[in-house]
Amino acid sequence: MQGGKARKVRKSGYHNQKKLFGIGMLYLLPAFVFLGVFLFYPMFKTLYFSFFEVGGNGQVGEFVGWDHYIELTKSEEFRKSMKGTFLFVLYTVPAEIIIAFFLAVLASEKLKGIGFFRTIFASTMGVSVAAGATIFLFLFHPSLGVLNNILGMFGIDGVEWLTSSDWALFSVAMTTVWMHLGINFIILLGGIQNVPDELYESADMDGAGYWSKLFKITIPLTSPVIFFVTIIALIGAFQTFGQIDILTSGGPAGATNIIVYSIYQEAFQYGNFGFASAQAIILFLIILVVTIIQFKYGEKKVHYQ
Amino acid sequence: MIRKFLMYTLLILSALVLFFPILYAISASFMQPKEIYAGELFPSSISFDAYKEVFDSIPLLHYLMVSFIMSFMVMVGQLVISSLSAFAFSFIKFKGRDLIFFLFLSTMLIPWEATIIPNFLTILNLSWINTYQGLSFPFFALPFGIFLLRQHFLTIPQELWESAQMDGCSRFKFLIRFVIPLSKSSLSALGIYGFLTTWNQYLWPLLVTNDDTVRTVQIGLKMLIANESSSSWNMVMAAVVAILLPTLLLLFFGIKHIREGLTAGALKG
Amino acid sequence: MRKFWGCFVLMLALILTLAACSGDGAESLDDGDGGEDADGKKNITFWHAMSGSNGEELEAIVDKFNEQSDSVHIEAIYQGSYDDSLTKLRAVGGSEEAPALVQVFEIGTKYMSESGFITPMQEFIDADDFDVSGLEENILSYYEIDDQLYSMPFNTSNAVMFYNKDMFERVGLDPENPPSTFSEMTEAAQQIKDEEDAYGFTMATIGWFVEQLLANQDALYLDNDNGRSGDATEALVNSEEGLKIFEWLQEMNEAETFRNYGSDWEDPRGPFFAEQVGMYLDSTANVAEVIKNSDFEVGTAYLPVADGMEPQGVIVGGASLWITNQVDEEDQNAAWEFVKFMTNADIQAEWAAGTGYFPITPAAYDEQVLKDVYEEYPQYTTAVDQLEDTTVTPAIQGALTEVLPEARKIIETALGEMYEGKDPQEALDDAAQKINDALE
Repeated sequence: MQGGKARKVRKSGYHNQKKLFGIGMLYLLPAFVFLGVFLFYPMFKTLYFSFFEVGGNGQVGEFVGWDHYIELTKSEEFRKSMKGTFLFVLYTVPAEIIIAFFLAVLASEKLKGIGFFRTIFASTMGVSVAAGATIFLFLFHPSLGVLNNILGMFGIDGVEWLTSSDWALFSVAMTTVWMHLGINFIILLGGIQNVPDELYESADMDGAGYWSKLFKITIPLTSPVIFFVTIIALIGAFQTFGQIDILTSGGPAGATNIIVYSIYQEAFQYGNFGFASAQAIILFLIILVVTIIQFKYGEKKVHYQ
Repeated sequence: MIRKFLMYTLLILSALVLFFPILYAISASFMQPKEIYAGELFPSSISFDAYKEVFDSIPLLHYLMVSFIMSFMVMVGQLVISSLSAFAFSFIKFKGRDLIFFLFLSTMLIPWEATIIPNFLTILNLSWINTYQGLSFPFFALPFGIFLLRQHFLTIPQELWESAQMDGCSRFKFLIRFVIPLSKSSLSALGIYGFLTTWNQYLWPLLVTNDDTVRTVQIGLKMLIANESSSSWNMVMAAVVAILLPTLLLLFFGIKHIREGLTAGALKG
Repeated sequence: MRKFWGCFVLMLALILTLAACSGDGAESLDDGDGGEDADGKKNITFWHAMSGSNGEELEAIVDKFNEQSDSVHIEAIYQGSYDDSLTKLRAVGGSEEAPALVQVFEIGTKYMSESGFITPMQEFIDADDFDVSGLEENILSYYEIDDQLYSMPFNTSNAVMFYNKDMFERVGLDPENPPSTFSEMTEAAQQIKDEEDAYGFTMATIGWFVEQLLANQDALYLDNDNGRSGDATEALVNSEEGLKIFEWLQEMNEAETFRNYGSDWEDPRGPFFAEQVGMYLDSTANVAEVIKNSDFEVGTAYLPVADGMEPQGVIVGGASLWITNQVDEEDQNAAWEFVKFMTNADIQAEWAAGTGYFPITPAAYDEQVLKDVYEEYPQYTTAVDQLEDTTVTPAIQGALTEVLPEARKIIETALGEMYEGKDPQEALDDAAQKINDALE
């Protein structure tokens, strides 16, 4: 802020300060109200619930201390759920970013009709969770599904996409990757197009090949965007729910019961609000830690222009 | 030349693979049940029976309308609240501003799902189940939106505000007359972001709607899958296509703006 | 940018007008309980879980009721599967968002009766001097707790085996004499697999079938007489009888004469219609739908039983109607009007004929509409005979516990794990342990 202005504010004295504070608060009031009611309050309430037995209608029962958390560490279901969650992140996040980046590099070529391809590549952004999952539910169908028919044409045995616990998580991940490609593609394409042309031109003069340009110019210079997309993809992966509900309902044998679905099931199907709240707190902590790690180690590797 | 050929081959292949699920959904929506059983890739003739059937059996247009209204409400709510807050954070220099801003920023780390249980109880106690306010109010304040707009507002020179002040322009007028028009691109990006994420909502509408009055397309589709027997996949696909159409069209027309807006967000965010 | 938003607004306007003009199915969308519609009738919300053609049949009956009643208007709302619907109810049950009338599956009985948000059916029966002697006794017995009727049975069904008669003929099995024991089933499944490009047998991964197969061997699911002589404390699913069921399924699974198509009711039906599998278990509630969708002759048979014993009978499955206490008394009485209407012999006959559920009043069997259907489709009568051959024991009354929906899920998980190679005994023991934990 400029020196002139700062002096003016200081000069205006105490009364003005107070008035400014009032005005500031007035502008922030709507945000405070909504954040307070729908974010701050429920966050503390969740923490509070996690130490109590809470019934289906929100009646708070007896205080149980750390019991819910201790139970979580012992529960085989929860361990399975956590394993599933991390596997899911592993299946989706790298694939989403690598494929989207590949598409973005392709679509950044200056070719005739490239606009058409860009639109197609971005199209899954217009596909909602329910619609996308429903299409894949049909594609995966054990007897009518066209994916197995196509595999059959190549003489490959049908895959039990959603009915085998070895495959189900992968199938849900595949659906998720497909649905997220659109938005990741758009953001990455924007990043690639922001790289100044002069850099490529001078690289051409140095006789650099396609690959060396890709690895020496494109990837380093788009790293802030890749970083941004990674964070969004990571957080999104931890919050997956709709696909699971439509495709597998957490099954088979709990293979796709990843954390948000597990919270939903515990709270709204079994009515254990307290126990579910403890899981919600775990979810919060995981996202917190993952984000901190990201910023701590990820940001160092990022080149800002 | 070879390189061009290679590029086109790759482009076409990728486009085919990527667009296949949507193409197949369209194709299956025109099939007869018999063709679905046979696992055909293309219908032998185009039949609109499935569309007729699905529009007769569920209020699909009503669901679409509900989704539109809900998404629109959230979009407007987010734009208004984010603009007001971002304005306070960039043009009103009051004590404790940075602290409050940091507090707001830190809430971006709270996953919405972690707060869903008390939020549900709040809506239940307010008797807001099956209402638009129950569907949309919890999403009005978006810390990410406040952050995004503040970043943009900060690029507007403070001198502009000082000279507007000299002309007797009030703060609010300044916001409406100058700041908002100067931030169109960020506002659009935020608007589109808010609209699409709300349109995509699944868990929350599932919890707070119990009847058709405010059922969104996403939940309507889930109910349709649960309701229909395996013989009606052509109907289900017809519903999917009907649901995809508006958003896909929006995307096709608006892709350029969405790209610009989102890229701006990514680069500054 | 302007073009984009213009297009956006246009889209919005288009959908709004279309939705407003068509008004399809969206009529009477509003109005919760207690409201009055244009004719001055009481509006009663009724949540149900009947899908597909059964759902249409239910809507037809509701319409019939609305036409003849001049004081009550029932609004039937489909809430998804039984599980989905109970989930919704659990969430809003104790609030004024609860519907006046709700259909809950049999295993939700204990939970509902202790939820504190229902009015026992007995109160209406007593107040109205309603005669329950016309209702089928062994169906009522399921929903009676301490001699009080808590909910009115509405749709009852049991499990039967469906098989493809044409396929039986082709592979050299006797279509009129379907297999009835586990080992006969295993052999028949093998024969189908050998002779035809199809699987022999399938069963949706649904805990209900395991409950039925246990009952058919007169084996208990829970201690304390299935939780009926006292609160259940221990699961008995890992008994010898339970193991027989699991081993039987696993044997076929390993021989690849059995295929697991998934955990939805719908999942095995498609393959059966497409003649990719010859035999499967399903609820009798879907007889109508199965016959309609099959291009071949469908047979129905009793539920198979372990070798060397007679079938003991089946648990009355299905659902009942509950009246909640979250709406005022007048509304509850209005809901009761509808419940009474549903027990009429002609309505029950129509319902049974259109779906495959049993009528809950024996008088319905004398109605012409049902007689005609039974004559035309003898497949229907298997379920009725099977129920008649059942003698009521605690095992057959079915398990009663609040956590039964959860237990069902646990059993489903155990089945899934076994299909993928877990030892049957181990799978069952783990499941029993988990149910025990839940019982605590």
